[in-house]
Amino acid sequence: MPNAAVKACSNCLVHAPEMAERYGNTPYMERLSHPGSEFLAALPKAGQSYEEACRYAPNLTFIGALSVDGLPARPQPWLRNLEPEAVRDGRFGEIMPEDEFLGLMDFCDVFDLIWLSLDFAAGVKGKLKARNFWSPEQLARLEKGRPLAEIEAECREQHALPLYFGGRVVGCCRRGHETDENLSAHVLLENIASKATSILAMMHLLRNSGLPPGEIDFVVECSEEAIGDMNQRGGGNLAKAVAEIAGCRNASGFDVRAFCAGPTAALITAASMVAAGARKNVVVVAGGAVPKLYMNARDHVKKGLPALENVLGSMAVLLTEDDGESPVIRLDSLGKHTVGAGASPQAVTTALAWEPLEKLGLKLTDVDKYAPELHNPEVTVPAGAGNVPEANYKMIAALGVMKKQLERGDIEGFVKERGLTGFAPTQGHIPSGVPYMGHALEEMKAGRLKRIMVIGKGSLFLGRLTNLADGASFLMEKMAGGAGQAAAVTTRDVEEVVLEALGDLAAALNR
Amino acid sequence: MGKMEGKKLLLLGERDGVPSPAMEAVFKNSGGEVVFSATECFV
Repeated sequence: MPNAAVKACSNCLVHAPEMAERYGNTPYMERLSHPGSEFLAALPKAGQSYEEACRYAPNLTFIGALSVDGLPARPQPWLRNLEPEAVRDGRFGEIMPEDEFLGLMDFCDVFDLIWLSLDFAAGVKGKLKARNFWSPEQLARLEKGRPLAEIEAECREQHALPLYFGGRVVGCCRRGHETDENLSAHVLLENIASKATSILAMMHLLRNSGLPPGEIDFVVECSEEAIGDMNQRGGGNLAKAVAEIAGCRNASGFDVRAFCAGPTAALITAASMVAAGARKNVVVVAGGAVPKLYMNARDHVKKGLPALENVLGSMAVLLTEDDGESPVIRLDSLGKHTVGAGASPQAVTTALAWEPLEKLGLKLTDVDKYAPELHNPEVTVPAGAGNVPEANYKMIAALGVMKKQLERGDIEGFVKERGLTGFAPTQGHIPSGVPYMGHALEEMKAGRLKRIMVIGKGSLFLGRLTNLADGASFLMEKMAGGAGQAAAVTTRDVEEVVLEALGDLAAALNR
Repeated sequence: MGKMEGKKLLLLGERDGVPSPAMEAVFKNSGGEVVFSATECFV
């Protein structure tokens, strides 16, 4: 069965504490219900600076400036033991500061929704240009800005939301319609932020792969935003909007939604299209979620910790036809959680981890590393959500004991050997296994890793339409010795070889 | 008679731990009455 090659990956972060403080859902709702609360008063002092975010080990691991294997050995807690030097650029992407991000949002906006002040726009244009990363066409999209008084009036009289940097208003996000709540400034701010962070990941992916934008055939976007108006809430195609600004003129696209399992589902969809020969070069991309910024900050602040959920995450993966050399996404055995599978952790783990391996005659120990939701435990543990990746590994190992593939005493070793330390921000779909693919790609190319399993899980109950559990999984693998090409041999190829042999035999008999 | 006979149950599940439908299945024949069942997601 043909597979799809994993050609390149990118992971990016945007440091956005001021957006978090105003428009992260937890502080936003708190401001509406308890505007004078102690939490809101303490929050501005609890933030991490940009320099601190660039020295925070999980962030550096995410962008590929630290190895995943090296992360557990870094002095902990990481938030109190920042790395000696601030690093902006890693092998997979960058940590972008908030002022540049506001500039990026402006040039990603095609409906004049983002307004920046004159002086701020001029300053940020210089910073973006100095990066030598953005194309002249992209930079030319950044508007010269407007007088601050116009921005303040738009906020005061037209329901625009102010955008802040350095504690002062430097712009605003306008509404897209006078009465449609789906096009309110708040919704559009989230959607434009998701689009902008997707474009950041897409541009880093193009740089990492060396592929010109015009070579991309198709884009599959898989964040958790709903793009549309009151008549088609969630109508979509953020993918094409991203491709447009990224300069992918020959690409089309669509969106895949499955809550936090979206990226896994999107990669399976994209890989299937590539393997079938329907599309050649396909990008799977996901942007960040503004509402999830500072989501657990109440607990962090209460415990005297920095509010760590200050970064928007984004990621992209390039899939191309199987060249027999690159690691592939195997399509001959995919994990799926069926309607009838059940919601217990045991049932979910069986469906996603056990069944796809059993189908291939493989054991749980035939997977070198498992990549389930890779949430940074320094964010989730103080908030009472536990160490998410570790809980997943313990469940997989326990299943191995039940299936008699592991001894009870092997559980700890299994977790240590085949697990990963969480390094991803709590951005919903972003941590769902996929940020490990860049690391795995490097390790597989170096011959240090053979097979990983990426596992995504979705919280469907959040939409109030079903209580079913959900998830998807796939194996990413470096096939042995050109197995990818061998897998592509067709019945027709075999027939031709047999006919040629018979022809040789007939010729020999005639002699 | 089940172990939870006469008890009222509040079930609070977590997506990456034990979700509430799984707990409901466990308590189905316990004799207890599930008066609230919800799953939350903190990530």
